[in-house]
Amino acid sequence: MKFERKLKELNKEEVWSDYCGFLDLSVEDFMLIQNRLMAEQIDLWSHSRLGQSLLDGRDCSSVESFRRTFPLTTYEDYADVLLMKRGDMLPDQPIVWIQTTWEGGRHPVKLAPYSRSMLETYKDNVISCLILSTSTGKGEFDVNTGDTMLYGLAPLPYATGLLPLLLDDEIHLEFLPPVKEAEKMSFSERNKKGFKLGMKKGIDLFFAVGSVTYYISKSFGAMAGKSGSKLKAMTKFSPLILMRYLQARSLCRREKRELIPKDLFRLKGFMCAGTDNRCYKDDLEKLWGIRPVEVFAGTEPGCMGCETWARNGLYFYPDSNFFEFIPFREMEKNEEDPTYQPRTLLMDEVKEGEMYELVISVLKGGAFMRYRVGDVYRCLGFGSREEGTVLPRFEYLDRVPSIIDIAGFTRITENSINTVIDLAGIPVEDWFACKEFSDDNRPYMHLYIELKAESIKHSAMTCELLREHFSVYFKYLDNDYQDLKKILGIDPLKITILMTGSFKKYYETGAGRMRKINPSSHDKRIFLKFCELPYRGGVY
Amino acid sequence: MSSYAPISMVALFCYICLLMAFLASKKTRLIRSFIFLLAVLSLWTLGSLGLRTGFLDLPGFWFYMSIDALFFLCFAYFRFISEYTGIKAPAPGRLWLIGTVIIVIVNTVTQGLFIGTPDIIKTAEGASYVYHTSWPIIIPLVFCAIIVAHCIWLLIAYSRDNTAVGRQIAPIVIGMLCLLFGNAAASLPVFRAFPIDIISGVVNAVMIFIALYKRRLFKLTLLVSRNVCYLISIVFTALAFTMAVDRFEAPLIRALGGLGRYYVVFAALAFLLAVLAVNFLISRFVNHVFIRSELAQADDLSDFSQNISKTLNADEILIQLTRIIEKTMHTEKVYICLKDSETGDFPIAQSSSPLDERTILLSKDNPLVLWMGRNKDCILMNQLKKLPIYKAMWEKEKNQIAQMQVECLLPLVDEQSLIGLVLLTGKVKKGQYTIQDQTYLQQLASMSSMAIKNSRMYEKAYREARTDSLTGLLNRNYFLETLKEEYGRRGDRELTLIFIDLDDFSLYNQLYGSQEGDVALQRAAGIITASVGANGHVARYEGKIFAVILPGYDTRMACNLAETIRVQIKDMNSRARDYAIKTLTCSCGICTIPLGASNVRQLISNTNLAVYNAKRNGKNCTRTYSEGPVDQPTTADPSATKRHKAGIYQAYADTVYALTAAIDTKDHYTFQHSQNVCYYATALAKAYGQDEDCVEIVKEAALLHDIGKIGVPENILGKKGRLTQEEFDIIKKHVEQSINIIRYLPSLDYVIPAVLGHHERYDGTGYPRGLKGEEIPLQARILCVADSFDAMMTKRSYKDPYPLDYAISQLDQCAGKQFDPVLARVFIGLLRDGTVEIKPGSFEEKS
Repeated sequence: MKFERKLKELNKEEVWSDYCGFLDLSVEDFMLIQNRLMAEQIDLWSHSRLGQSLLDGRDCSSVESFRRTFPLTTYEDYADVLLMKRGDMLPDQPIVWIQTTWEGGRHPVKLAPYSRSMLETYKDNVISCLILSTSTGKGEFDVNTGDTMLYGLAPLPYATGLLPLLLDDEIHLEFLPPVKEAEKMSFSERNKKGFKLGMKKGIDLFFAVGSVTYYISKSFGAMAGKSGSKLKAMTKFSPLILMRYLQARSLCRREKRELIPKDLFRLKGFMCAGTDNRCYKDDLEKLWGIRPVEVFAGTEPGCMGCETWARNGLYFYPDSNFFEFIPFREMEKNEEDPTYQPRTLLMDEVKEGEMYELVISVLKGGAFMRYRVGDVYRCLGFGSREEGTVLPRFEYLDRVPSIIDIAGFTRITENSINTVIDLAGIPVEDWFACKEFSDDNRPYMHLYIELKAESIKHSAMTCELLREHFSVYFKYLDNDYQDLKKILGIDPLKITILMTGSFKKYYETGAGRMRKINPSSHDKRIFLKFCELPYRGGVY
Repeated sequence: MSSYAPISMVALFCYICLLMAFLASKKTRLIRSFIFLLAVLSLWTLGSLGLRTGFLDLPGFWFYMSIDALFFLCFAYFRFISEYTGIKAPAPGRLWLIGTVIIVIVNTVTQGLFIGTPDIIKTAEGASYVYHTSWPIIIPLVFCAIIVAHCIWLLIAYSRDNTAVGRQIAPIVIGMLCLLFGNAAASLPVFRAFPIDIISGVVNAVMIFIALYKRRLFKLTLLVSRNVCYLISIVFTALAFTMAVDRFEAPLIRALGGLGRYYVVFAALAFLLAVLAVNFLISRFVNHVFIRSELAQADDLSDFSQNISKTLNADEILIQLTRIIEKTMHTEKVYICLKDSETGDFPIAQSSSPLDERTILLSKDNPLVLWMGRNKDCILMNQLKKLPIYKAMWEKEKNQIAQMQVECLLPLVDEQSLIGLVLLTGKVKKGQYTIQDQTYLQQLASMSSMAIKNSRMYEKAYREARTDSLTGLLNRNYFLETLKEEYGRRGDRELTLIFIDLDDFSLYNQLYGSQEGDVALQRAAGIITASVGANGHVARYEGKIFAVILPGYDTRMACNLAETIRVQIKDMNSRARDYAIKTLTCSCGICTIPLGASNVRQLISNTNLAVYNAKRNGKNCTRTYSEGPVDQPTTADPSATKRHKAGIYQAYADTVYALTAAIDTKDHYTFQHSQNVCYYATALAKAYGQDEDCVEIVKEAALLHDIGKIGVPENILGKKGRLTQEEFDIIKKHVEQSINIIRYLPSLDYVIPAVLGHHERYDGTGYPRGLKGEEIPLQARILCVADSFDAMMTKRSYKDPYPLDYAISQLDQCAGKQFDPVLARVFIGLLRDGTVEIKPGSFEEKS
């Protein structure tokens, strides 16, 4: 039965139970589902040619033995099969191939296959997110046929493009602008058209990357003001929006501020995805009058978790992936010694307050097994009295320390910075970079650079100059970086030039090697103190 | 009486019927609110009826009864809807009640401030009313309209939160609309005298009744009891009589003529008959229209309970359960999965048709099984799919269930655990499984669960009593029982027995330990069972001997089967994994009734003999039994076999010689006696037409038959004079002692039956087992003749040798008593024609 029909024929409790009933699971039942589906997946995967080539005769008779014998994987392990779209080697025939960028990889993009069963699960979980985003309590939600959705995410072949297609199978939602039109539009065109239609039809639901949502929401006032002749534009507003618009104009004049979305729209559901959402959530709440619910999804894992009405941490869906967690210390040990196989924990073994790198095995015929997604989560605790749950809640922290992700747009690695330095031709002695947050809680990349002593005599080397210089090459190398400036209007690079000889002197004190990307807060603090520079915290 | 008065009467009757029924049923708040509504409707109709008929000439009374009830109708409706929707509105509820009471009081006290007693205009069609209203009528109308609006709001709120209940409340809405329409239409000239409002009231009551029935708030069987039917009959008849009394009293008295003074008696009699007739009609109507299916289900349940209590066969119970579900639920297919006690999984044990796919198995960790185990409740597949635990289903499992088209699941629960699952597909007429159906199914399940549990316990005990715990085959006792049964019902058909004796199994056990021996036995049992299939019965006859009973098999077919088994057992240990294990072989003996035996004892004995033959043929072969001279080996070519056997006999002869030499050192007489008996017995066996193997067995048995005397004290063996009973008992034990010695020689164990039976007598008075006639193995009977003859012909410590004639006469006299009569006569013939020479016996012995 389709979601739309369920809404008509079943009562709310039944619909809730159908899609969000997993919240009532005990940890034991959650693990039962996980283990059973993982056993199914191992069976499917081990009989596929991909599985057989990767298993190489290892024991996979049970989930335990599989975890014990099969090492953790990265995209590199699957690249030959997946980049060639070798569907015949996979556990299940792929229906669609989803694309994303491969940061630091040997190919610009990564491809991930989605089987029919995976898409079905993806669909159910997306509907669950939709319900949860409008929920005000257990079983209390407000989704109706014909609701309008402002959709600020990328179309196919990106994973986010699946959502409108899958939802379209289940319920008639009016996407602003319609999906087919949106596919042909640029990002800013989409937003403008979306808001224009929103003025006409109202906006019930909004789903976008947190940072993008913030910037388009901020520019809403300007967009509303610029839309041609005000009077002509107002004739296209819905009567309700028009009434609110007129009220808001006078209010804005009184309060001497710009028009903000909440003046015109009453969102029923507000979802955001991506990195650094926590930097924008408060502002988004002020702008829209409703706090966004964070949805956790990715190209490889699909839709894997969502927050509830309490907005107090995410719950993972039990049937999308088999989840394992690498404790942070284990992750660091693996970074120091790449041959070290980090120990993983299961959902019923995680501890409150600890940070974990996520490892997934995609269920229902997925290709990725024990795959390191590259995301780090913190366990907020087990259950919540308010939500009536006992399952562990998580908070998305960031990408793994070896990657700097700014607002979900760009992913910078040690390799990419080295390439930029080479291309820029700047004589750099040594460097390290880390993600930091500004006073207004906005993310940026802070590059600490020590230049070669001899170059200082012949070249003009100021922070501003270097920032401009590097930015050119970052943009040249990485389209996403370019988008940061183009779409969000932010320049996420800050440069600090260190005194010549800083690194040498520091290491002469006997200090251990620092990570080049996101060094630990302890190392960074000591180093900056040594250099007599102010310390600003990052994620790690 | 108005011509439309019967309409009001029927309406009143309907209300009273419902009222009586619900008054007698179990009451909830909702039922009470419905009773209140019915009471108000009854009063309204009664008032209207009284007014129309001019009953008792009290128009004012009937009018106020009717109009006050109508005022109360809105409140009663509100109360009912509030209870039905579960939306409590205590404050407005009180307000509506107080308002209604005030309106009623004011209207009554002021003699019609809002609406007064109508003028009644009597016409040929009946009475019609002219109401006098003034502007204050707006007050109660507005008040009622507000209550009706509140009712509508409650229904909207209810359906908004529960979109699925639209169909449930539809009858209520229809009823309300009907009532409003009826009351509005009553004021139209076209319905001047026609009680359209009353009819709409009845429709409304029926609609509400349907709404309640849809919510399964009552069972019709509980509602319509016999007493309720009587009560309704009495009320209805009383009403009818009251209405008719004026019209029929005078004509009846006139018709009775002289008996007119007994008019009251006739009237009472007529009333009684009328009550009975009405009651009969009501009961028939209710039984056939309303509760027939419920009663039929109850009957089926009762039959089912009786049927399953009569049997301890689990399969039979499952068949009964399948049938009753199909019959009462009209289910297309029923699958019953029972828990496998070893694996814990739930394979399909029974289904509607033998052609159904039964390979599907619900594993013990299947979410359906887990949910059923935890909740022990009947559930619809649609409901189960909504549960989070359903997410744990594999796609394969989901597809299986989808292919089976399962719509409803029913647990079979022991006191604590799940013992089975009943999977029901959709109904034949595509109906849904209702809550009532589920309750009924639960009743069936609880009855079946206990019966299945008991039958399984019984079957387990039955199986354990009849099977060998190690191999799972029939045990010896049950084998004998089965063999007798098969013999009893064989008719003209052949009955073949195969003994499969594992060769050198003691050595195998000693080499690899008894645990490995047990494994070998299990594997051999598996091979035999798989080969025999459903064509016969397989048993573990003795430690290392398996028996196969083959009804309808002739010797040739049995030989083929035995050879197949023999070859498989030979190859059993030859796999790479077991390279270190000695190859285990078996010797098979076959005997068939009627060719080789004529009764069960003979069959067993001769099959044993066939096995011995096989053993003597070098083991790892199959031999059939026949008393005639032809007994072809089934393996190898004859000349090779002959050479092979010659070699074996030579090897055995050395062993036999060594043993007999041992006794010679202790008791030379016995040695000589054994040689003599060997000579006589061999001659007799040959003369009787026995084949070379049998003659060889007889020969070796004869040489060894008294080997047990090694253990008898010399003073007893050589005692002169009569033996005491004690001494004789010791002497008698030499037979068992002989067996004890021979059994340690696996290569000579084939002589045991002959040695063991040589002191048995043909009339059954011998020892050690008291066998009789042909129960005694042939070789033993031969030995008996030879042994006795030599005993008579040799000198003993207590007697001289008898003359030959005397010995022959003794043989003749004892034929049929001590000796096999045929053998005795053959031997006498040999003696008389001089074929057999008399052997000397120079030493004494006691035997």
